[in-house]
Amino acid sequence: MKLLRWLVITLGFLFAALPLVWMGMSSLKHQADTINPHPKFVPSLSAVAEPESHTFEVTGEAYAGLAVLHAGAQASFWEHLWNSVIIGVLSTLASVLLGTCCAYGFSRFRIAGAKDWLFFILSTRFMPPLAVVVPVLMMYRKLDLQGTHLGLVLLYTVFNLSLAVWLMKGFLDEIPRAFEEAALVDGYSRASAFLRVVLPEARTGMAVTAVFCLISAWNEYGFAMTLNSSGAVTVPAYFAGLQGNIEGMPWPQVAAGALVFVVPIVLFTILVRDHLLRGVTFGTIKQ
Amino acid sequence: MHARDGSLKWSLVGPTLILLIAFNVFPLLYNIFLSFTNAELVGEGARNVGGANYARIFSDPIWQAALRRTALFVLCAVGVELLLGFSLALALKKDFKGKHVVLTTLLVPMMLSPAVMGLYWNFVLNGNYGILNQALSALGLGEPQWLTDRDLKFWSILLVDIWMWTPFMMLIALAGLSAIPNSIYEAAEIDRASRWQVFRHVTLPMCAPLLGLAVLFRATDALKQFDLVMATTGPNDASTQTLSTLLYQSTFREGKIGLGSAWACTVLVVVLALATVFTRYVERMRKTQEAT
Repeated sequence: MKLLRWLVITLGFLFAALPLVWMGMSSLKHQADTINPHPKFVPSLSAVAEPESHTFEVTGEAYAGLAVLHAGAQASFWEHLWNSVIIGVLSTLASVLLGTCCAYGFSRFRIAGAKDWLFFILSTRFMPPLAVVVPVLMMYRKLDLQGTHLGLVLLYTVFNLSLAVWLMKGFLDEIPRAFEEAALVDGYSRASAFLRVVLPEARTGMAVTAVFCLISAWNEYGFAMTLNSSGAVTVPAYFAGLQGNIEGMPWPQVAAGALVFVVPIVLFTILVRDHLLRGVTFGTIKQ
Repeated sequence: MHARDGSLKWSLVGPTLILLIAFNVFPLLYNIFLSFTNAELVGEGARNVGGANYARIFSDPIWQAALRRTALFVLCAVGVELLLGFSLALALKKDFKGKHVVLTTLLVPMMLSPAVMGLYWNFVLNGNYGILNQALSALGLGEPQWLTDRDLKFWSILLVDIWMWTPFMMLIALAGLSAIPNSIYEAAEIDRASRWQVFRHVTLPMCAPLLGLAVLFRATDALKQFDLVMATTGPNDASTQTLSTLLYQSTFREGKIGLGSAWACTVLVVVLALATVFTRYVERMRKTQEAT
C-alpha cells in the first residue's frame, strides 16, 4: 500500500514536471539539437562533435532570437509579450475595481433578485467565447476597436467580472459588518466607510482576485485570436500563428518564449497557493 | 437602511451588470437574429432564410460527427482526470517531507496557457524528433505518430488535456479528503471496517459533493475545447474537430456567419442546460454547508 502510494506520487510528479523540465532544456539548445533523432539531454558547455551523442551544447541563442521577427509575424516575441502585459494588467485592474464594488453591493445591501443576478453573473462564464464573438466583432468594427489594446482590455474586463464578483463576494462576506457599523456611528458616510474601513480589510482578497484575473487574461486565446489578428496581438495568438511556419518551427525559441511566458504564472501560483482552490472554483469552495 | 442607500447600491452593482448584459445578452440576441439569415463575414446584404441554417445543421453529418466527438472528449477527459486526480489526492493525503514542493509542481500545469502549451506539446509528441517517441523507441515500444495518425490524434489531444487538468481534480479532491474528520476514521477502525469498506462508505460519499462540483466545472470547460485542438491539428481536421473548432472553421475560415450563428445557438442550449445544473448544484451545496 505504501509502495503503491509512492508509485502514484512519483508518476504523477514526473508526468507534471518532465514536460516543463524538457521545455527549459530545449530553450538552451541550438535548433539542430532540438530536431536531432538522438535525444540530447546532457548539457555541456563546449561544442559537441559526435552527432550521435546525448550531449548538447548550452547556448543562449534562443533567448537572443526572441527579438527576431519571424516570417508571417508582425513583431518580435517581446513586443507581443508587452501587449500581453498591458492588456492583462489594465483589464485586471478594471475587473477587480468593478468586481469589488459589485460584490460589496451584493454583500451588504438588499438588492431585488440578488440571487438571480449572482447566478446570471456566474453563468456568463459558461459562455463559449466562439458563441458571442461574431456580434462583438461586428460591434468592434463599427467602433474601430478591432486589433486595439482597448478592445481586448474591455473584453477581458467583462470576461473576468464573473470571477471577480464571485471571489470578492466570498472575501467581503467574511469581513464583519460591525467594522462598518462602528465607522457609520463615528460619522463616516457609507461610501467613505467602504473606502476607508472595508477596502483595507479586503486587500488580501483583492490581491488574490487580481492574480486569478491576470492569469485568465494572460492565457486567453479564443477572443485574442479572432479579434486581434492584426494589431495588439497577445502571446498565445502569436504563438499559435507560428504554426506552419515555412522556415520550420524554431523550437528552441518556442521553448524559450513559452518559458518566459509561463514563469510569471508559476510565481503567481506559488504566491496564491493557499487560495488556489477558491480561485479556480470561483469561490464556491472555501477552505 | 437609509433612503440614500438606494442610489448607492445600484451605482455599486450597476456598471458590472450593464457591462455583462452588453457583452453577453446583447450578442446572444444578435446571434439568434443572425442565425436566421445568410450573413457572411465579408460583404453586406444578409437575407432572411428562415430555418434553413438549422435544417442544414441537423442533417449535416459533419456537424453530427463533431457533436459526438465533443461528447466523447468530455466523457473521457472528465472521467480519466477524475480517476487520476482522486488517486493522486488519496496518495497525497498524508503529510511527508517535501509535500509542499510536490503539490505545487503538480498544480502548475492547470495554470498555464492551453494555446502556448498545446503548441509546445507538438514538439514533445512529434513523430520523428519528439522526446516521447525517442523514449518509447529506446524502450522498444515503437514510435506511434501521435499527431499525424488519423486514429491517434484525438487521443493525443486528450492526453494533453489530461496533463493540464488532472491537477484541478486533484486539488478539489484533496479539499474533500481533508474535510473528513479523523474521528470518523477512528470510529471505523474500532468497528473493524476493512480498508475498502472505509473507502466505499466513508471517504467516497463524503467527497462526493465536491467531486460533483469538480466534474461539472470540468465538463462545461471541456465542452468548449478549442485552444488545444487549434494548437495541435488546427480547426479543420476531420478526426479532431470539436464543436468550437467547427464553429470557428465555418464562421471565420469559410465566412458563413449565419450558419455559424445557428450552430452557436444550438451549442448554447447545451451549455446553458449544463450551467443551470451547475448553479443549482452550487446553491444546494451552499445550503447544506450553511446548515452544518
